[in-house]
Amino acid sequence: MTADALEGIEGIRDKWPFVARYARVNGWRMHYVDEGAGDPILLLHGNPSWGFLYRDVIPPLVKSGRRVIVPDMIGFGLSEKPAREHAHSLDGHIANLTALVRQLDLQRLMVVCHDWGGPTGLGFAMSNPNRVRALTVMSTWAWPTPPAEFHTRLFPWRTMHAPLVGPYLLGRHNILARRGVYLSVVGRDKFRREAQAAYEAVLPDPETRLLTWVWPRWIPLDETARARARFAWLEAELAKSKLPTLIIWGREDEVFDAATFAERFKRLIPHADGPHMVTGRHFLQEDSGPEIAALIAGFLDRLDQQGVE
Amino acid sequence: MAEVTMIARPAREDTRQALVLTEDRLGHYPEFRAFFVRTFDLDRVRLSEPGFVRAPSGMAYALVFVGRSGEPFPAGLEIHAIVDALEPLDDAVVDKDLWAILGWMIGGVGAPWTVEVLQATGQLYRIPACT
Repeated sequence: MTADALEGIEGIRDKWPFVARYARVNGWRMHYVDEGAGDPILLLHGNPSWGFLYRDVIPPLVKSGRRVIVPDMIGFGLSEKPAREHAHSLDGHIANLTALVRQLDLQRLMVVCHDWGGPTGLGFAMSNPNRVRALTVMSTWAWPTPPAEFHTRLFPWRTMHAPLVGPYLLGRHNILARRGVYLSVVGRDKFRREAQAAYEAVLPDPETRLLTWVWPRWIPLDETARARARFAWLEAELAKSKLPTLIIWGREDEVFDAATFAERFKRLIPHADGPHMVTGRHFLQEDSGPEIAALIAGFLDRLDQQGVE
Repeated sequence: MAEVTMIARPAREDTRQALVLTEDRLGHYPEFRAFFVRTFDLDRVRLSEPGFVRAPSGMAYALVFVGRSGEPFPAGLEIHAIVDALEPLDDAVVDKDLWAILGWMIGGVGAPWTVEVLQATGQLYRIPACT
């Protein structure tokens, strides 16, 4: 898939004016944008979104004097979409990101993590700390127990991605991009008017939507979960991490609710700044892009002023 | 949900199998794999033949079980509509049939999985087949 997939969406050139770039990472073709100059900021999305989620975050960060890199996870956006479930693993996605960062030789990175961009981005950061200067976490998790009570419920979460039901609801009917994101923003009318089409356009056929039901199956729910050991490692590494960290959360987020998740990150990384609350449900960038950019830029400005390397 | 029934292999003349749904990880929740093993006697039948069902539209479907080295059998499942050889699929009909097959499967898997929760999930996400 290329940027041609976006043609026909009204006003897309204004909303997403960024040059499409591609890199071969870990055997896959990854799309990313790379805008501005200065210390780099890596903006990472999750399921079922793509770099478009950060369209209102990128320009103010570039204007603040930073280089902003926004990759589309393999399986999403304008990146290659493997056709088989077995192509996807948490470790593999961490390796994809690591390959991109090494190709671009990024140093002094601020890694900004949302949803599955959390386990992948934080996994990269903990395994490549020499390239990372700071972290931002938003509506995500990094521990082996179920992320939220929501994820243990049969209705709708576990039923949604159950065997055969997942390929039907998420594949044939694209329910996450068509309805799930809509239900997880505050300004729904604005979202439907300005953004919905761009999320659906990059997932045009059932086969392109594979990762929308594969990622839910990687969420650890019990002792037998495939990624349990990786999440346990991630939690232990974060607990030892001294990296400056910023916590930003959506005030209206009822899936990864702030009282549970933002506070758990705060306990895990006590020196973290925040949590800073902004308007937003799970996809808080849709409601508070400029505010999120201002928080990140301000945090980095303070690190600069304090001489933090 | 309308009834789905198990049937013997339909006549093959002038038909083709059209792939309509693929599951790579049938054992993600092991009770789903157990349902198919039990229902189609797969410990004995193994890969020798698909399972066949008739859906509410009257169309027959082949359930093709997929093995994968190192994993319990079956690892995956393909659902194929059995259609007139040279005729295109009616996608709306297939979609309703698949929804019925999912309901039949969930009912067979049993508690804690329920058809009511499947229906509620379909309604939440406005699936045409369950409205």
